[in-house]
Amino acid sequence: MKAKTVKPRVMTGNGAAAYAAMLCRPEVVASYPITPQTEVVEQLSAFKADGVLDAEMVEVEGENSAMNIVCAASIAGARVFTATSSYGLVYMYDTLLQTAGFRAPVVMVNVNRETPGIQAVSAGQQDMISTRDSGWIQIIVENDQEIIDQIIMAYRIAEDFNIQLPIMVNYDGYYLSYLAEAVQIPDQTDVDAFLAPLKKQPQRPRLVPGEARGCGTHGMEMGYVEARYKHCMALDRVKNHVDKIDKEFGEYFGRSYGGQIEEYKCADADIVIVASGSAAGTARTVIDSKRAEGLKVGLVKLRLFRPFPEERLAQALKGKKAIGVIDRSVSFGWKTGPMCTEIKSLCSKIGPVPILSYIDGLANLDINIPHIGRVIDEVAVAAKGKPYQEVTWIPMEEER
Amino acid sequence: MVEKATKKKNRVFDYFCTEEKFSGGVAWCAGCPLELTARFIPKVLGDKMVFVGTPSCSAPVLHGQNLGSWHKLPYLACVMTGVGSSATGLTRYYQKAGIDATVVCFNGDGCSSDIGFQVLSGAAERNEKIIYITYDNEGYMNTGNQRSSSTQKGALTTTTPVGKIGKGKPTISKNLTMLMLMHRPRYMATATLSHLEDFAKKLQKAKEMVKEGFVYLHVFSPCPVGWRIDSNLSIEVCRTAVRTNYFPLWEAYDGKPRITVEVAAPKPITDFTKLMRKFSHLKENDIAAFQAEVDRRFALLKTLCDAAKAEEKTTVQS
Repeated sequence: MKAKTVKPRVMTGNGAAAYAAMLCRPEVVASYPITPQTEVVEQLSAFKADGVLDAEMVEVEGENSAMNIVCAASIAGARVFTATSSYGLVYMYDTLLQTAGFRAPVVMVNVNRETPGIQAVSAGQQDMISTRDSGWIQIIVENDQEIIDQIIMAYRIAEDFNIQLPIMVNYDGYYLSYLAEAVQIPDQTDVDAFLAPLKKQPQRPRLVPGEARGCGTHGMEMGYVEARYKHCMALDRVKNHVDKIDKEFGEYFGRSYGGQIEEYKCADADIVIVASGSAAGTARTVIDSKRAEGLKVGLVKLRLFRPFPEERLAQALKGKKAIGVIDRSVSFGWKTGPMCTEIKSLCSKIGPVPILSYIDGLANLDINIPHIGRVIDEVAVAAKGKPYQEVTWIPMEEER
Repeated sequence: MVEKATKKKNRVFDYFCTEEKFSGGVAWCAGCPLELTARFIPKVLGDKMVFVGTPSCSAPVLHGQNLGSWHKLPYLACVMTGVGSSATGLTRYYQKAGIDATVVCFNGDGCSSDIGFQVLSGAAERNEKIIYITYDNEGYMNTGNQRSSSTQKGALTTTTPVGKIGKGKPTISKNLTMLMLMHRPRYMATATLSHLEDFAKKLQKAKEMVKEGFVYLHVFSPCPVGWRIDSNLSIEVCRTAVRTNYFPLWEAYDGKPRITVEVAAPKPITDFTKLMRKFSHLKENDIAAFQAEVDRRFALLKTLCDAAKAEEKTTVQS
């Protein structure tokens, strides 16, 4: 570890996100308030007012403009930051696609919340899931410390010359946005040092006056195909890069998260539970108690969702007798949850084992210890070759 | 010789001695004033220009769809909802990084008055240092003549057709220039190709004033195809629009308007409508209502101009 030891401070997930963003020295910040993200905008404005954040702050009239501003500034060469949630995320959808298509390395925090339709001012990953095909890198974190660390790492991923893609750092609204935890805020000099390698890379193409260079040219036929192909190839490179940066971060700051996925007691496990976000913390506790009862169960915490960590997951899940996947969102038109559907696509690599889908934690309902305990018990039964229910909506079952 | 030329101020001729930024063979319709407008703007605004555009009539050329033609300007082609905001992102970073640039938005009335209006309004309210140019052809012409909120009442478009029941667009147009005036931009003006010297002066002022804040230019640009005008008449339509007070030429510093081309004896609106076939179905009472609307809008402008003048006098006296 090279980083200075710092005293822990207690702050909310939103406060942590704002601190991390400030430490990365963004040059243009544009953001629109939305529950449960608002505190991030307020805190950044306070930093600016106090003179500790030297960025152009744009108080926009909507999220669509926020994304356009950071996208354009990024194309001009700026380091940028924005934060949103739910309605805001879908309100910027056209520009979300544009930003990814332009390969603008925007770093955005998305505080997970349910999406429009049913007015739910509550937690859920549906917003992130609804934008999974936007071409962005999507990563999910578990606690306030991981929010800080992942935002710092996000710049090393997005702005890397071989990547140049926007990244969305997701954390659970309410559960993390307003949860005050003790966190270590890295020293500015250490963040500067960790981000310094970006300066040694070749400069990415920039839109500047006097140079006849355009961005957003009509991509007809092969021009379009080539841009799409290169975008997909860059996304593919993200996977190993996330592992590499996580390792480097660990060596520097003494904290690491497993990169694309975190495997917890998976090596000797017979069955594995897949979860993400704040629910992973709860799952770890339940795994420990089930292990104490003699059940060989492990946890995979899904961190990288786009690009999908196919290889790492296959490695972690191969040879397991049954798998349970907990989704905090739904996949319209599929019975199974979105993450479960995608994990099922690994069948050719991990074999035709039972993969059980659990929909839980929608609209601020807790993914609690009894719920996860039940998931583990049912997966253990399925592992013995007994019949099982493919999809379970845990709260609905409890109501019955 | 060269020195002499530079001494003469604001001569349009001089601008045409500067480098042409567009090649020939561009993908714009024959007789379209948009082409001449686009070619003229960089001649006045200079080499530090960065264009921000969006899917519109300007897109096929600015965004390089027709690969045989080209232009030498840096540009960003963004989504239709993102013109004012993308320009904000660019200008804020250029200011922060100390890069000398003139960020110019260039899009049609559909973007400015409809889908991109909120964003335009936001950029104006924040007083962003950008020049926002609307070329107003009163409809969605790139997609083939659909109505926009800038389309005049009674006008024939493909979404306000004339038929047994349909009588063209049923509602009056959004008065975008007045709406922008109420934002009190640092500088704003209307312009059109028939009055090129006036246009040039306004562009020059725009270039100067954008260093201080938001600049809005509204350029009248009739669409020969959509309006059904003979392609040799487009400049004549511009001139007639000015002479009928349909499109008065004025400017405003900090929300104080002043007419720049006074029309001594305005012509009747029929002089304008007879040049195109999009109004050919209008009955006598429709024309009378059209004339009343033109007069009403001009009277409002005149009142505001007089008020600005009076305000200036009081400020000087006190």
